Amino acid sequence: MITQTNANDVLLVCRQIVKSYNGPLVLDKVDFSVKRGEVHALVGENGAGKSTIIKVITGATNRNSGDMMFDGQVIPLNHSRNKAQDLGIGVIFQELSLIPGMTVAQNIFLTKEPFFPGTRFINHRLMNRNAQELIDRYQFPLKATDVIDKLSIAQRQLVEILKAMSMNAKLMIMDEPTSSLTKTEVAMLFEIIRKLKSDGISVLYISHRMEEIYALADRVTVLRDGKLVAVLDKEQISPAEIIRLMIGHKLEENALAHKLEPKDGEVVLEVKDLTSVGKFEKVSFKLHKGEILGLGGLVGSGRTEVVRAIYGIDPIDEGSITYLGKPYKPSVLRSIKSGIGFIPEERRLQGILATLSITHNVGITNLDRLAPKFVLNLKKEGEFSREGIKLVNVKPPVPEQLVGNLSGGNQQKVVLAKWLIRNLKLVIIDEPTVGIDIGAKDEIYTHIKNLASQGVSILLVSSDLPELTRLSDRIIVLRKGKVFTEFKDCVVTSEKILRAASGILEEA
Amino acid sequence: MKKLKITNEIRLGMVLVGLMAVLSIISPRFLSLSNLSNVIWSICIIGILASGAIYPRITGGIDLSLGSMAALTGIIVDMFMNKMGIHWIPAILLTMVIGGLIGLFNGFIVAKIKVPAFVVTMAAKTYLYGVALVVSEGAMLAIMKPAPFISIGSDKLLGLPIPIYLMLTLVVISQFVLKRTSFGRQVMAVGSNEVAAKLSGVDPDRVRLVAYTISGITSAIGGVVLASLTRQTFAAAASGIELDVMTALVIGGTSAVGGRGSVVGALLGAIMVAFIVNGLNLLNIPAPFHPIVTGTVIILALLLNEGYLVPKKLAGGMKNQKQAAA
Amino acid sequence: MPASATFFIRRFPVSSHAVRRLILIGLMVAIAGLITSINPVFLTMGNLQKLFQEAAQVGIIAVGFTLVMITAGIDMSIGGIVAITAMVSINILSYTKIPVPVFVPLLLLVGAFVGFINGYLITKFKLPEFIVTLAVRSVLSGLALVIAVKDSLGFVQNVYIQNDQYLWFGTQTFGSIYRTTIAFVILGVATQLFIKNTRAGTNIYAAGANPVAAKLSGVNTERTVLGVYVFSGICASMAAIFISSRMMTAMPELGIGSEMDVIASVVIGGTPFTGGVGDIWGTMLGSLFLALIKNGILKTGISPWYQPIAIGGIIVVTVIVDVWQKKAHEKLTARAKLRKLDAEARKSAA
Repeated sequence: MITQTNANDVLLVCRQIVKSYNGPLVLDKVDFSVKRGEVHALVGENGAGKSTIIKVITGATNRNSGDMMFDGQVIPLNHSRNKAQDLGIGVIFQELSLIPGMTVAQNIFLTKEPFFPGTRFINHRLMNRNAQELIDRYQFPLKATDVIDKLSIAQRQLVEILKAMSMNAKLMIMDEPTSSLTKTEVAMLFEIIRKLKSDGISVLYISHRMEEIYALADRVTVLRDGKLVAVLDKEQISPAEIIRLMIGHKLEENALAHKLEPKDGEVVLEVKDLTSVGKFEKVSFKLHKGEILGLGGLVGSGRTEVVRAIYGIDPIDEGSITYLGKPYKPSVLRSIKSGIGFIPEERRLQGILATLSITHNVGITNLDRLAPKFVLNLKKEGEFSREGIKLVNVKPPVPEQLVGNLSGGNQQKVVLAKWLIRNLKLVIIDEPTVGIDIGAKDEIYTHIKNLASQGVSILLVSSDLPELTRLSDRIIVLRKGKVFTEFKDCVVTSEKILRAASGILEEA
Repeated sequence: MKKLKITNEIRLGMVLVGLMAVLSIISPRFLSLSNLSNVIWSICIIGILASGAIYPRITGGIDLSLGSMAALTGIIVDMFMNKMGIHWIPAILLTMVIGGLIGLFNGFIVAKIKVPAFVVTMAAKTYLYGVALVVSEGAMLAIMKPAPFISIGSDKLLGLPIPIYLMLTLVVISQFVLKRTSFGRQVMAVGSNEVAAKLSGVDPDRVRLVAYTISGITSAIGGVVLASLTRQTFAAAASGIELDVMTALVIGGTSAVGGRGSVVGALLGAIMVAFIVNGLNLLNIPAPFHPIVTGTVIILALLLNEGYLVPKKLAGGMKNQKQAAA
Repeated sequence: MPASATFFIRRFPVSSHAVRRLILIGLMVAIAGLITSINPVFLTMGNLQKLFQEAAQVGIIAVGFTLVMITAGIDMSIGGIVAITAMVSINILSYTKIPVPVFVPLLLLVGAFVGFINGYLITKFKLPEFIVTLAVRSVLSGLALVIAVKDSLGFVQNVYIQNDQYLWFGTQTFGSIYRTTIAFVILGVATQLFIKNTRAGTNIYAAGANPVAAKLSGVNTERTVLGVYVFSGICASMAAIFISSRMMTAMPELGIGSEMDVIASVVIGGTPFTGGVGDIWGTMLGSLFLALIKNGILKTGISPWYQPIAIGGIIVVTVIVDVWQKKAHEKLTARAKLRKLDAEARKSAA
């Protein structure tokens, strides 16, 4: 039961929250609270349950069990977005929640525009004035009449904040708000958060960035594997400590430590000073034959952008690439022809042809071999399909099966298969096991390791730290678009990688 | 592959056979040769057009200029043969080239300039109609010669009019290209997930350019056959045929969303619609009711495609496909 | 007006939408001048009256169509709605004694009803707008033929309307302006005021610009889209009344084929198919422009066969220009953002 002591200074209380989406527990009896007028940080690795607890609080999804109370009111199990809004829970979404083509004022007051008394006609002047008042109260660099299309992401965030404020939000939830902001914009956001706090509004701040948490948070809640690990008070907050709690301090941690074995063979790929304005800057590294090079870093550090540029999808502004000893100007077709494969980050959006069969999916990257002269060799296509299915163990092993109906793990296996049946020299893999069950994960790891042992070089981007440390022969950590550090011929743990990704340089 | 065939095209075939049975019970005249040959020529034209128009459709676009193209090409081929004295074979080939070029032009605006397909082709429908008016000087032109050209439409081979063979050939070729060539695979891939296709080395722009060109060529062929069959050509010929072709494609299982499609299915769909209209005729249901029925049929077909109106067991499969596409 | 680039004419900020309108008006003036120089009859009161009435007949439908376009939808059934409304009207005039002031408002319900069906199929069943409305048009064209007044042999009769009250709508002028034109202007102004100054109107823009965000903000997108199709149907019915009144008769094909004119008006007026943007002023200008072109072609002796070429061509050119304009705009904003990033980097390095 929720006790009534200190009820006054606690704004949000969650007790023993349990949530599962038909299967494993995503939230396992989590206790969580936010005080009035505090900045509360929520941290945890991907999959720790941060997004889910937020969804439960904002009503985007419903918890299975557990008590929740906000501002003295009980939140029922059938919570909803509208109820959350009415209660005073505000969320900053970024792109999702603003209407392009409309002004700041229009966005703030959508469906709640003020009327001329006695009519149902919108009083634009009043609306703009009200909006401007809100803006001025927080001294945001905005005008009520600005059209949001012209605003930067930072400014749009401000509009979202204003929108929540106009609905008398008492709690402002911000999910990774600084990932697209410049330094000055981040500083401005911090100022705003401090102002909100002084107005008695609580801020729930989710972030990977330790320096921000250190600067802002009054308290930090650490989640791991769907469970509450710790709640730290301001004096106890240190980035290193938080990382330690996020990763886990179990004895098995030592077993998760990996010795990185160098693979110094011939250099298959060399990247020099690769730059794409606004995305990454002067990235350089070498990749040897049969080596698995892991790219670590926080979300938004530029890893995906780098590998996409190498594969040829996105353009490069400066820098050079040498592939197999010769200068290389990337394009998707050239990459495929030269023995480069690419497994994209988002399986459903970028990886699979969902409405088509496994055979079709496997064949699509192999049309040069299946139909050298326009006509498809159906027999060969079937062979490739069966070979691919067998190679990665797709279940069910039915070639005509529509890929969209497969489980996530099997879908990813199909994506792998279409490359594995080619003669590859280099494979780029971006987040290989997101949303995939353990069994399939292990299978995919085996395939990756096999590839490497056969002499194929691999560029592996992964936010799953144990995965990264387990598979890689060498690890480069990117931070804010630049290469921050390299781990080579040493022992690494998830903690070490995360610290590097967060900008904490180790003493040797 | 075989399993798929049983589900889609064969299911359509069974419905068709059932329809034929019902119709022959309702009216004994249905199965007579004279009746069937009436039905056949509209199926021919629609089949020819559908075998090309399916390509833009699968890639997520549409070609609404089919009718105007067919009319214009009929007028052009007549002009070549009878006003410029060109021999009928090169005249037809030249007309097909022109059809392809117009299709390429449409495809360029869709693929490279990224204008929505239905605006481009709908506008084309309009201005091509105007061009047809200008070239034909607003007149209905009777085509009496050259004789070999006329015989395309009127001669019979083994009891069946030649256009049927033409249509069947095109349908077979198109189905083959769609299901058994590299290009066909690329077309389906672009329709299913353009991003994934691009990452796999497919060039969606080029695929679209070719798709609309193909549609232009088959429209030209259709126009030529129509001119020969009816022995006349005028600017408003085949007006509105786009809707019939779309209906045939929809019934045949072609989806603009999911990268699904079948030329054979479209043909079966076209036959079904033609039989339904024919049945209405035989029942002496007056002409105005025909578009009412065909309009309703389209809506029903759409609902079915989306997974409604079907007993739960079947709906499960279709909804899965929809979710897979989502 | 949303999402426009800002040009500076002598340091005076002007939105690209305004520039576009000005260019359009300028073009119209120029073309009008050109036509008059070839055939002075063009600029007579009689011809201008007719021209504006032609514009109004298409324009009334286009007003409703504009709202549909703003929600990123499309309504191909408008021609069918015009036809069926006209046929219902003829039937009532021929076979009943229901007074005009009573049944004319009821005619609007015909369009509302069809619009409701369109909207329902589209929002509840999520069927593709284009094909669905095309199918409905098919059904309506057949229905129109079915209920058309026929003679004893079963042929469709050309019924001449003699009811003065009914003819009041389309054949009479108010001062020197046809009532149709007045109705068009009133409808246009009222609709423009509606979409810019009411919550429902704002919701239409929201549903078209970003339906996900709109929903999150509490907009009932389904109801909004449904309403828009109903309104489109009402406008089409309204047009049918004026058109049949002016022509003093109506055949069941009335309106079939008007789709291109309507689409052209809306496109020229600057409302894109992608939704979220657009207003009635543009549509009104567009209808006028279209009527100008059509009338001009006739008055300068150019064969009417060139009308469809002109209309189709103008649509294609306009849409291509729209796309280029958008791309140029995006390039400008991207460059501005890069410049900002650059400035920031330099500041932090300093």
